[in-house]
Amino acid sequence: MSDQAKETRLHGVIAEYHDVDGIMAAAAKVRDAGFTKWDCHTPFPVHGLDDAMGVRPTVLPWIALGAGLVGLAGAVLMQWWMNAVDYPFSISGKPLFSLPANVPVIFEGTVLFAAVTTFFCVIVLNKLPRLYSPLHHVERFKRSTDDCFFVVIEAADPAFDEKKVASLLEATGADSVDMCHEETGGGDLPKVLVACLIGLTVLSFVPFALAYRARAKKTEIPRFHLVKDMDHQAYGRAQAESKFFADGRMMRAQVAGTQAFGEMIEADSTQTGKTGPGENDWAQVIPIPVTREMIDRGKNRFDIFCAVCHGYAGDGDGAVAVRAQERLYGAFIKPASIHEDPVNKRPPGQLFDTISNGVRTMKGYGSQIVAEDRWAIVLYLKALQLQRNAKVSDLPAELRNQLK
Amino acid sequence: MSHPASTELTLERVPMMGEAGRGKIKLIALIGIVLVVVAVVLGLTTEDGKRHLSFAWLVGATFVLSIGLGGMFFVLLQHLTRSGWSVVLRRIAENAMWTIPIAGLMFLPIVIPTVFGYSGLFPWIDAAWAEADPVVSKKTGYLNMPFFVARYVFYFTVWIFMARYFRKASLTQDQTRDPAITTRLQSRAAPGMLVFALTATFASFDFIMSLEPHWFSTIFGVYFFAGCTLSIYSTMILAAFFLSKNPDFGHLVTKEHYHDLGKWLFGFVFFWSYIAFSQFMLYWYANIPEETEWLVHRQNHGWGYWSLVLIFGHCLIPFGGLLSRHVKRNKKVLSCWAVWLLLMQMVDLFWLIRPLMNSHGVHFGLIDVATVFGLAFIGLAYGMQLTSKQPLIAHGDPRLRESLELVVQ
Repeated sequence: MSDQAKETRLHGVIAEYHDVDGIMAAAAKVRDAGFTKWDCHTPFPVHGLDDAMGVRPTVLPWIALGAGLVGLAGAVLMQWWMNAVDYPFSISGKPLFSLPANVPVIFEGTVLFAAVTTFFCVIVLNKLPRLYSPLHHVERFKRSTDDCFFVVIEAADPAFDEKKVASLLEATGADSVDMCHEETGGGDLPKVLVACLIGLTVLSFVPFALAYRARAKKTEIPRFHLVKDMDHQAYGRAQAESKFFADGRMMRAQVAGTQAFGEMIEADSTQTGKTGPGENDWAQVIPIPVTREMIDRGKNRFDIFCAVCHGYAGDGDGAVAVRAQERLYGAFIKPASIHEDPVNKRPPGQLFDTISNGVRTMKGYGSQIVAEDRWAIVLYLKALQLQRNAKVSDLPAELRNQLK
Repeated sequence: MSHPASTELTLERVPMMGEAGRGKIKLIALIGIVLVVVAVVLGLTTEDGKRHLSFAWLVGATFVLSIGLGGMFFVLLQHLTRSGWSVVLRRIAENAMWTIPIAGLMFLPIVIPTVFGYSGLFPWIDAAWAEADPVVSKKTGYLNMPFFVARYVFYFTVWIFMARYFRKASLTQDQTRDPAITTRLQSRAAPGMLVFALTATFASFDFIMSLEPHWFSTIFGVYFFAGCTLSIYSTMILAAFFLSKNPDFGHLVTKEHYHDLGKWLFGFVFFWSYIAFSQFMLYWYANIPEETEWLVHRQNHGWGYWSLVLIFGHCLIPFGGLLSRHVKRNKKVLSCWAVWLLLMQMVDLFWLIRPLMNSHGVHFGLIDVATVFGLAFIGLAYGMQLTSKQPLIAHGDPRLRESLELVVQ
């Protein structure tokens, strides 16, 4: 700014005091004189000055309360809309709109709204930011942040009269009373700064404009990725061409002489259930140790994989079968009972084959159950069949004695 | 600041409790004793009354203990943080903390029967039952009668030692005005706070949580502590209010002190709610039977209404009521909330302890009221007796001036 003489006008009258008691008494007198546009400037918060100045209680607590309630209601509504209406999704079997689960977010929402609103309202209510005050032209006013107390009555006050105000302040025992002048337009921002602010404001809309354009327009060019996430992965696509491999194929054949984990070794009867190439060359012997542990293992696997259709005792009355019968699903064929002809006549190898490869609408379980467990299931089936028609004479001697 | 700093300040008149206050002590003690006698007679003459009495007694004893422990927390906290604002109020908390010995006596009717194998309160006192129970049998290393009694002795020995140490030093300072005492108590308060936190936590496990030996909650000690702090702030507000007519004391405790106590009270209302809800929500969400069992006991057979009383009476209503600064700066209104929150602390302890007596209903009766209020009045009379013997203010404290000139904006 230049030092050229500028047009000035009176901003207000400024009175200086050297202690708290002085400014308290002066504030009370100015208050009683009925001024409205005036203020006190002190180096530290002075207790009781609010009352002496007749400042009305701040509206801030009510704003904070209102904002807190808005946050509370907003958090309830948001969770209700998201969880119960827009995207209902059962979590742990709780109700879709479940207050206990919502309380933490309600709490956070209330605190967040109240705190952020209070923060900004403090700034607004204190008329900040304030880049210019004519009071700083008065040299001694600098001591208001150090060891002196000031009362300023502004010329904008409707009851302002230069001479009366000066004599009023002198009568309050002020150490000094000064006139404070301000340059007309002194509070204006420099034009360069204004231009920069306007420019920045306009520029800040550019990203939004670009985003809007990208959403509204159709294009042949692939999307622009700021974050190279799952759209960009280093893998070859099926059926695609490869520039890396000599044969030009992305999909690779199995290397000769190797075997994948869990892959069936066809030649072995323990893997096929067959002893020969003929249609009925079924294995008649179960190739695993016939022990209590293996039967229990078989029961465990059967209950997991088979019982849901076949029923726990193998009668073909599992939950799925019963449900399908109730609903009369036409395509559903009731699973065969293992206790009835022809299944009860089938040799172990054939049962093993059925489990491995499936039959009719039953799918094969070879890929899900390892061979040893499939044999354990066969063993368990044989035990179930035996038990169904067991006679007392089949029991060992000691158990027979217990029955008596 | 506006006033020149001064390290020395002497009160013109040392405030002491007046005759009017002393006269009430005997009456309050008498009411308490009569109520306890009524409760004991009822307990011995009615069917299943002994067990009812022991549960009600545990509620009353923990209530008195919670005020004493709250007092200890307050005193430790003021020394630890070099607080100046609270000097005029600290003597009240020091006296409250010195009621811990009488709380220890009140626990004897709980502890002694366990020595003779009474398992009506704590089922695991019955060693055969504990061994047969698949869950409790794993906890018998902790939950057994000799160790329980030893812990009771340990807690109260430690508390009485600490309370005596801090109170006696403060009383000595009344005479000597030695600022070195303040420095010494500050350095002792740090380990003291650790010991307080651990003993209060484990005491709450032993005296309250172990009533349901299957159940466990790591936050339980904090929950009990929240109740202790609410009780002591309520007690201090009420004590200051009833002493405010004392001409030597009333003008020293200003609106600013009530405002600060009110802020603590308000803060801990929400702290209690926060802790209570934290405990509830994790168990509610996980929905594991061994954890929800405790909540099931408190939501069925009439106890659900008591839970609602806590949600509204201990959290939402006082939260709204204490929100405004005008309430906190008005000692009469604030005292009403203090009475309310002391009642809620009783309800809270009742809700923690009593559902274990009987799973088929609340069976709230005269025996509960008489025992809890009887023990509370005896504790109150004892606290007033302590107050009447010593100056009402720790007037030898070097921060007395800071406290007298407290300004809150």
